[in-house]
Amino acid sequence: MTLAAGAFLGGAAGRLLPASVPFRYFATAVAYHVLAWLALLAGARDAPRFAGGLGWPLAALHLTTLGVVVMTAIGASLQLLPVATLQPVRAQRWAAALWWLYTPGVAAVALGMGLPAPAVLGAGAVAVVAALLVFAALFARNLWGAAGMPVVIAHGWVAWVSLAVALVTALSLAGTYVGAPALDRRAALALHVAFAAYGFMGMLAVGLSCILVPMFALSEAPAERPALASCVLAAVALVLAGLAAGGVVPMALRTAAIAAGAVAVALHLALMQRALRTGMRRDLGRGFLLVRGAWAMLAASLALALPVTLELPVAGIATLFGIALVPGWLLTFLLGMLQRIVPFLASLHAPRGAGRRPTPSMLTAERPLAIHGYCHAGALTALCVAAILDSALFAGAAAVLGAAGAAAFAVFFVTTLRRMRGATAPESRA
Amino acid sequence: MSIRSTVPRGPARGDWLAQTRRWMDVDGAHIDVRGLAPPGPLVAIMQLIASVAGAPTVIVHHDRDPLMLYAELAEIGWTAGRIDAPPGEVRLRLERAP
Repeated sequence: MTLAAGAFLGGAAGRLLPASVPFRYFATAVAYHVLAWLALLAGARDAPRFAGGLGWPLAALHLTTLGVVVMTAIGASLQLLPVATLQPVRAQRWAAALWWLYTPGVAAVALGMGLPAPAVLGAGAVAVVAALLVFAALFARNLWGAAGMPVVIAHGWVAWVSLAVALVTALSLAGTYVGAPALDRRAALALHVAFAAYGFMGMLAVGLSCILVPMFALSEAPAERPALASCVLAAVALVLAGLAAGGVVPMALRTAAIAAGAVAVALHLALMQRALRTGMRRDLGRGFLLVRGAWAMLAASLALALPVTLELPVAGIATLFGIALVPGWLLTFLLGMLQRIVPFLASLHAPRGAGRRPTPSMLTAERPLAIHGYCHAGALTALCVAAILDSALFAGAAAVLGAAGAAAFAVFFVTTLRRMRGATAPESRA
Repeated sequence: MSIRSTVPRGPARGDWLAQTRRWMDVDGAHIDVRGLAPPGPLVAIMQLIASVAGAPTVIVHHDRDPLMLYAELAEIGWTAGRIDAPPGEVRLRLERAP
C-alpha cells in the first residue's frame, strides 16, 4: 500500500500533540506580538532611555518576552522535545490547560505594568509563575525521559534551572511594586535579566537550534563536544553573572561572564554556520535571514553588555543592550523559526483527503512574510536610532513599523491555518 | 534472487549517510537508519534519494515512524508507504509520486 507523503501518522501519533495545542500557543504569540509593538507606541516618549520601572515600555518588553518568546517556546518545546528525544507526548491535558492560566496571566502582567496597576501586576505575576511551574514540570519530565540527544538535553537542563531563578526573581520584582520585595531590587533585576533572557529563553533557543537548524538545512548535526563545551561555558557565564548580582566582585565577575558567554556564542555560531554550509538545502528562505540577523544581534548584545558592565558614560547604552538582546536576538530568532515551524506542523496536521498532502511551501504565504521582514528590520533600526538620539519620534516610528510587520506576520499565520484546514486538494493551490 | 551491493559512502566528513547501512536489492535501494538520533535519519534518507536519481524506489528500515520525513518527501514529489516488517521495525517504501 502506498500513500501520499504524510498520509499516515499512525505510529507517530503518540509523538504528535493535537494541532490545537501547539497552534493555540503560536496564535497567542502572534496576537501578543502586535500588542507588544502597540504598547511600545503608547510608551514611545519614555522608551529611548528606558532602564526599568513601571510603564508601557516595560509592558512592551514583557509582552515580547512572556507573550511572544516564552509563549512560542512553550508551544514548540511541548511538541518538538518528545519528537527529538524519541518519546511519546505525555500529559496532553496539562499542556492544553497551561494555556488557560498563562495567557490571561501575561495580559494581566502587561496591563499592570502599563497602566500602572500594581495589584493587577501582582495577580498576573502569580498566574504566570504558576503556569510556568506547570510548564517546568512538563519540561523536566520530557528531559528526564529523553533518549540520546545529550546536547539538547544539556541545554534543556540549563534552561530549566534558569527558569527557576527567573521565576523567583520575577516574583520578587513584582513584589517590589506591591510593597513585598523578597530580594534586593538591583540584585533581583540583574539576576532576572541574565537568567530569563540568556538562561531560560536563550538556552532553550540554542538547544532547539541544534535539532531545528540541521533539520531544516538537511545537514549534519553539530559536533557533540564543541556543542557541549558551548553549553558548559554558557552555564559558567550564568553562574558568574549570578555571583556578580549577589555582590561578589561584581565588575570583574560580570566581565568574566561576558567573556565566557562570548566564547560560548562563538562556538555555537561556528557550529550553526557549519550546519548551514554542509546542508543539502541552500535556500532556507526569509526565515533564516531573520535567524542570521538574530545571531548577529546575540553577539552584539554581549558586546554592548561590556560598556554597561564597566559603567562607561555612553548615552542610551543600556537601552541599546536591551534592544539587541530582546527584540534583536530573542524575538527575531523566534519569528524566523516560527515561519518555518508553523507550515511544517500544519503540513503534518492537514486533513487527510484523496489528493496529495500539502507541502510546507504550499502552506506558506510569502508576501506577508516579505512585508514582515522589511518592517521588522526597519523597526529594529528605528529603535536603535531612537536610543542613540533619545528620540521619541523614532521610537514611535519603530512601534508603527513593528506593528505593521506584526500584522503582516498574523496574516501569514492565519493564511497557513486556512490553507491547512482546506487542504484536501492542494494541487489547486500550487 | 537478491543482488546486494554497497552504495559508495558520501564524501563529507560526519555525513549522516556514511553512518547508515545501504544496499541494492531487486525491490530498490535499501537504507537502514536504525539507531541514528534525529535529524540523522531524515537527512540520510534525503541524501540517498538525491544520490540515487535513477532508482525508482527506496526502502527505509527505521526504528520509529519518521514524523519529520513526510513533509520533506512531499516537497520533492515523493510518496511514502508502510510495508510489512519484523516486530520493532518500521519499514517504508518511498517512491516518486505518480
